[in-house]
Amino acid sequence: MSFIEVKHINKTFKVPVKSNGRFSTLKTFFNRKYNYIKAINDISFSIKKGEIVGYIGPNGAGKSTTIKMLSGILVPDSGNIIIDKMIPWKDRKKYVSKIGVVFGQRSQLWWDIPAIDSFNLLKDIYKLNDKEYEKTLNELIELLNLKDIINIPVRNLSLGNRMKCEIAASLIHRPKILFLDEPTIGLDAVSKKIVREFIKKINKQNKVTVILTTHDMADIEALAKRIILIGKGKLLYDGSLNLLKKKYDYLRKITVISKDKLKIEEDYVIQQKNIENGIEFIIDIRKIEINEFIKLLSSKISISDIDIDNGNIDELIVKLYEDFKI
Amino acid sequence: MGLYFKFMKIHFKSELQYKLSFALSFISQFIVFFGYYFTIICLFDKFSNIKGFTMYEVLLTFSIIQFGFSFCETFFRGIDTFDDLIINGTFDRLLLRPQNILLQVFVNEVSFVKASRLIQSIIILIISIINLDVIWEFDKIITLIFMLFASVILFLSIFILAASYCFFTVKGLEVRNVFTDGGKHMAQYPIGIFKKGFVFVFTYIIPYGFVNYYPLLYLLSKENNKIFIISPLITIVYLIPSVIIFYKGMKRYSSVGS
Repeated sequence: MSFIEVKHINKTFKVPVKSNGRFSTLKTFFNRKYNYIKAINDISFSIKKGEIVGYIGPNGAGKSTTIKMLSGILVPDSGNIIIDKMIPWKDRKKYVSKIGVVFGQRSQLWWDIPAIDSFNLLKDIYKLNDKEYEKTLNELIELLNLKDIINIPVRNLSLGNRMKCEIAASLIHRPKILFLDEPTIGLDAVSKKIVREFIKKINKQNKVTVILTTHDMADIEALAKRIILIGKGKLLYDGSLNLLKKKYDYLRKITVISKDKLKIEEDYVIQQKNIENGIEFIIDIRKIEINEFIKLLSSKISISDIDIDNGNIDELIVKLYEDFKI
Repeated sequence: MGLYFKFMKIHFKSELQYKLSFALSFISQFIVFFGYYFTIICLFDKFSNIKGFTMYEVLLTFSIIQFGFSFCETFFRGIDTFDDLIINGTFDRLLLRPQNILLQVFVNEVSFVKASRLIQSIIILIISIINLDVIWEFDKIITLIFMLFASVILFLSIFILAASYCFFTVKGLEVRNVFTDGGKHMAQYPIGIFKKGFVFVFTYIIPYGFVNYYPLLYLLSKENNKIFIISPLITIVYLIPSVIIFYKGMKRYSSVGS
């Protein structure tokens, strides 16, 4: 059996309907109407130990809800979740000491005091022994370069440094699984890189299984070989990023700077446009390889410069969402 | 328990980050709530007693209720502000820690500013004890300790019950204040001075009567039955279902979006 096994989970939320008009607040107070929103609709997947999985989908797709169910905060209406031979919400105390969770938009550090005090308190919460704790702490301080920042009150830290402390806090008890809910939200390029590299490192060194949700596709490209895509509570795709790319990312924009004129009328040219001092092609790489196409071009015109647009992964996702109508 | 004190230390450290604000709030709390006691003193300036209770007797019940209330507000404030805990998502965080939930909720917020009221109630308590016409023998002292204990337990159970309400409708409503603040104001007086209906409510529905009325009668030698000494302990019976309801409610918990 897999390390993480999710089978046919469902979750419906009850949301009160707001109405407008006179005395509406009073009316809703006495007679509330509810909408039932299916946040998670029959999702199943399994994850092996030591994998990094990117869990993606548009806003409101049910990502956070899934993370909450996997971490035992929420109980699914139906279906099973078994992680490391435990049912998250049933063996809560035992289970949560094996996982770490980072909510990118919420802090678990005490705001007014230095992070090191929070770490010390977490040590007592997780009942870690001194030796173990010291070792892990020193490791984290070194890996994340925290030495100078853990003695400053958290409220005075930059977002990037705070996130580093957040991640360290969620790893202080050496969890087997790490859930990251938008860990790079709002971070600058340098901090993003540090966070990504660190996640990679602990995944490799400590065999931590990582599940991350994000809207930043560069996170996914850097970290996850496997992605799970959901939309409107349904599982849409589960597999490797490369395969998804092959399936959806087949258009390339090639811009050539040239004085010559050329018109190619073949099925692999999706679109052709004359620009100021050259030509812009959009080709379908399933029908012709790029080097073939360039060979063809150079045999017909003289090229002074060429630019190949490598297909942005964000566009790929937009295409995907359109395809699945979410 | 050790963990509890570690949490306290963290909260104290946080609060001391803003020393001036802390000092000012502490003093203002002290002055504002002195108003309560002042009303009673004024009242007894006109009337020498209310239905047979003298000023210091009333001040005693008053300070016992204040003691229990402010004790909970100081050390278990997290349960009083439980609706915030749910709305801002902190409760999710607590669920992710391998510790008892209720304990974590209690200690999630600790207000040392409210300790100003606690100290105040203790001062008034001591003043009334000195001035009361009671011979402080062993049984009377035990009764008083039970009363103080029961006061804390009772407010704790009411707070837990009110907090459980949040699980059923995300935002806690004013309903709870009827029982906490409203009840508190009534119970500050020996409930014997009220009409029968009130006495019934405050004996059987919310047992304020067992905190500061029935044991008080024994304390003042108005009743001699020894059962009145342990009557405050009935509040423990009240605590147990509150805790059960809290955990029942937790099962229905549905979090908030992020």
